[in-house]
Parts: sequence; structure tokens; C-alpha cells
Amino acid sequence: MTAVLFLPLLIPWLAAVPLVLLDGSRKRVAWLAVAALAVHLTALAVLAAQVFAHGPAQAVTGEWPAGVGIVVRADALGMVFALLSSGVLLAALVHETLAGIEGRRFPAFVVFMAAGLTGLFLARDVFNFYVFFEVAMISAYALSTYGGEARQAGAAFVFAVVNLLGSFLFLIAVAGIYHQTGTLDMDGVTTGLAAAGPNASILIAVLVLVAFSVKLGLFPFHPWLPAVYIGARPAVAAILAGALANIGSYGVLRFGADLLPAQLRAGSIALVVLGSASIVYGAVQAIGRRDSAEVLAYSAIGQVGYVLVAVGVGGAVGLGAAVLYAIVNGLNKALLFLSIELRGWLVGAAFAIGAFSVVGVPPAAGFLGKVVMFRAGVETGSAALVILIFLGGALSFLYMFQLYQTDFWAGAREVGRSAPRTRVVVLVLAALVLGLGAWPEPLLAVSRDAAAALGEGPP
Amino acid sequence: MILLVSAVVAIVFGSGCYLLLKGDLFRVVAGTVLISNAAVLTLVGAGFTRGAAPIRPFPPGSEVSDPLVQALALTALIIGFGVTALLLTLAFRVYASSRTVDLDQLSQIEAAREDELEEAEA
Repeated sequence: MTAVLFLPLLIPWLAAVPLVLLDGSRKRVAWLAVAALAVHLTALAVLAAQVFAHGPAQAVTGEWPAGVGIVVRADALGMVFALLSSGVLLAALVHETLAGIEGRRFPAFVVFMAAGLTGLFLARDVFNFYVFFEVAMISAYALSTYGGEARQAGAAFVFAVVNLLGSFLFLIAVAGIYHQTGTLDMDGVTTGLAAAGPNASILIAVLVLVAFSVKLGLFPFHPWLPAVYIGARPAVAAILAGALANIGSYGVLRFGADLLPAQLRAGSIALVVLGSASIVYGAVQAIGRRDSAEVLAYSAIGQVGYVLVAVGVGGAVGLGAAVLYAIVNGLNKALLFLSIELRGWLVGAAFAIGAFSVVGVPPAAGFLGKVVMFRAGVETGSAALVILIFLGGALSFLYMFQLYQTDFWAGAREVGRSAPRTRVVVLVLAALVLGLGAWPEPLLAVSRDAAAALGEGPP
Repeated sequence: MILLVSAVVAIVFGSGCYLLLKGDLFRVVAGTVLISNAAVLTLVGAGFTRGAAPIRPFPPGSEVSDPLVQALALTALIIGFGVTALLLTLAFRVYASSRTVDLDQLSQIEAAREDELEEAEA
């Protein structure tokens, strides 16, 4: 059991270190990285199958007693996000390898990010969460300069500074948690914070929320986001929107619903307002843009708003909706960003599926996301929420099909290196989005299990 | 003691924010370094206990101070060191391509570049 738990963590680490030393722009090295990520994803899938069948798995490093050693724990929520993130990373890496990698370090940093993200989703310790979080972020800073023209270095600098601020705020929150509870273990933190004074715990909750909002690129914390997404290569933008943004969704879910449930209930209005502002702001900004990357960047700001609204609604329905929406949104963004710079009727069809999914039209998977959001809205009995979700959907319809028109009908799409083989990944992702929408049971069951894993305590 | 640590953290954090808002890349880096150190200081302050050094064998009958925060602070310092190196590299790349570290001039160059691109398209 222990080996199954540690393998998905160790494989990308052990693969990434030698990969840094090799020249990643050579085909053979890139395929080596793809193989490492594929093995890692398989190991994750094996672990996930065990977790979904038999419940959470836990292990302590170095055979120390729990509380002294570092606790690693795989539960349904962590596994869902780990699978999603590693899947998106693999898709982006394969796509870029097929298109031709320009930088020597690109494959290594993608594998490093897989290591950081997996560790973060498996960490059962607040401080280790921070450490893995930084591993993933540092890889992201490095990746954001990839394929860099001059302006990209500037965008990467802003990206790094703003997100470092978010990280340090999170570190201060960790210090606050340790001061209040005397422990870093998440189970101990939950009970400790429930007993702590309201002032301290609300302060901690606000710091954590701000830190994750920066990662998500929510409305008032978003200014770094468009510049980075627009300048970055499509594969990097797909990684940032499809894999890295999961840190924010997972963090809000784990820290909000699991560690600070009372504070989450108290602040639910704030979360809903923040999320709604993001939805409207992102959609309105996206309508005003013409460039594909720009529209998608603002769409990313809008779409994460739904996750936050769903967390704010809370309860089994709301949290399940948040998980499901995060999964669907990650896949959508990976598909749409990767399809930039490609053309042809096949890519047009794949893009249309992605657009349908963002808007929430069946049979794409995004339809499910919208359905669960509506259900969460109806369940709270809030007419405003239902109207907002409808409005957000209508606005996204507008900008996605405006984009489709200019790109595929008017033929305005700028095409980079578009060999036929580069379309493979986009088509596979489109089939996945379509398949998950046509056969929704697994996705619904998985997100329900993941939401149920919140606040259930040690196994 | 807690009050003293809080005051120091506040001053370091405030100075960091002040530098962050300056229009110069390297000042921004310095500001980030200060804020990272404010976070580390908070971490040290979070586990403030008086006592003997936590080295076995413990002196009988006396409290030992909390060793965990020292370990956390060390880890956080190393991470801070790493990201500072990365930030300096990024700042240098910006300088190498634009020959300036002044943020106002950088945005002017940026705007000029975009105009050029638009003209080229038109």
C-alpha cells in the first residue's frame, strides 16, 4: 500500500532531475519525459482506483509515528485533482513535443510541475502543502518564459512577483495556523482552529482565501493573468489554466471546506460575491477582445468564478458542483488553448466542442457543469444565483462564438507550425470532453465522492 | 517579546511593500525579498517558547524551546533564496532585452512595440 502511495510522487521527481541536465529540445529526450509522465499518470490511476474502491490511503514517511513524520494521504478529492492536473500536463507535453520543442528545459519543468502538484494534492500537512506549492509555482515561473520573446520576460516577471506575494501571504497564514493550533497536521489543524478565537481564525481564513484567489486569477487579483496567458506559448497557457489553476480550486476546497468549515459558512456571501464579480468581469472583458489567447485568458478569469460561487454555496451539492466544474473547466481550457495556432476543419470541430463545453450546451461535458451549478443555485433558493449562472452562460456563448466566427469563418486565425500530427492531442481532448458529457455517470460519481471526502477526518 | 517580533515583522513587511511599489525592477526584487523575510520572521515568531536548546539529552526539569519552527524557517529561507535567484534572472532578461530597469520606460517600450506590430499587420 505504501509503495502505491509514494510511487506517483517519486516517479516525476526521479525523472525530472536527470531531465534538467539533458537537452530537452531533442526529440528523444522529450519523448523520455512523455514516457515518465505517462508512467506517473498510470501510477496515479492505480492509486486512484484503490482510493475510490477502498477509501483514503495514508502513510507516514520514515516509519515515524504520525504527528512526527510527514503524513501523506490520498483521498478522493486529492486524487481527482492530481489525475486532472497530470493529465493536462501530459497532454500539453505531448502536444509541444509533436509541434517541436524550442527550449532545452521545457520537458524537465513540466515533469517537475507534475511532482509539485502531485505532492500538493497528497500532502496532509500544511507546511508540506506550502513546499510542494512552491515547487509547482517555481516550475510555472520558469515555464512562463518558455519560447520567450522580449515582452514575455516582462510578463513572467510580473507573474512571479504577484504570485510570490500570494505564496508569502499563505506562508504567514501557515505561521498563524501553527501559532493557534500548535500543529501542522491537517486533522489537528481542523480541531485546533475550531477551538481558536474567532479573530485569529477569520484572519487566517482571509489570508488563505487571498492567497488562493491570486493563484486562481479571480477578479480583483487577476492583473497578472492576461499578460502571461497572451504572451505564453499555447502549451504553457494550457498548463497554467488547466493544471496550475487547480491549486487554487483545490486549495479553496481543502482549506475552506475541510480546515475552516465554520469560517467558510460565515464568509459564504463574500465568496459568492467575489465569484460573481469574476464571472461577469471575465465575460464582459472577453466579449471586447478579438485575439484568441486574449479571449480565452479573460474566459479563464470568468470560469474560475463558478468554482468559487459553488464553494460559497457549500453543502454536498455545492462542493460537488465545485469539483465537477473545476474538472470540466480544466479540460476545456487545455483543449481550447492547445487549439490556438492550429487550423483545419477537424480543429474547427474540436474548438466548437470546447466552445460548447464552456457555454454549457449538451452533449459537451460543460453542460454537466452548468446543470450542477443550476442545481446548487436552486437548492439554495436564490433566484439571483440562478440568473447569474444563466447570464454568465449567455455571455460566454457570445464571446466563444464571436471567436469561432473570426477564427474559423473569417479565417483570421494566425497559424504557427501546424503539421497534421499536432492536431492529435486536441482531437483526443475534444473526444474526452464529448465522452464525459455523453456518459456523465463517472464524472458525477467521482465529484460526489471527492466532495464527500471533505471534512471526513482520518481514515 | 511577541509585540517586539510583531513590530519588526510589520516594519520589514511595510518596507517591502514600499519597495514593491517603486518603479524599478531591482527594487521590486528587493521588496519581494523583504516580504519573504517578513513571512519567515512570522514563522519564527509563531512558535516562540522560552527554554533550553532542544538538543538531546534534555536538561532535567527544564522546558525546551520549540525546534519545529526553526526547521520550517530554514526550509522557507531556502525556498525564498531560490525564488530570489529566479527573480533576478528574470529581471536580468528584461534588462538584457530592453536595456532599462525602469518600469515606466519598460511600458513605453512595450507600447511602442505593440504599435509597431499593429502597423505591420495593417
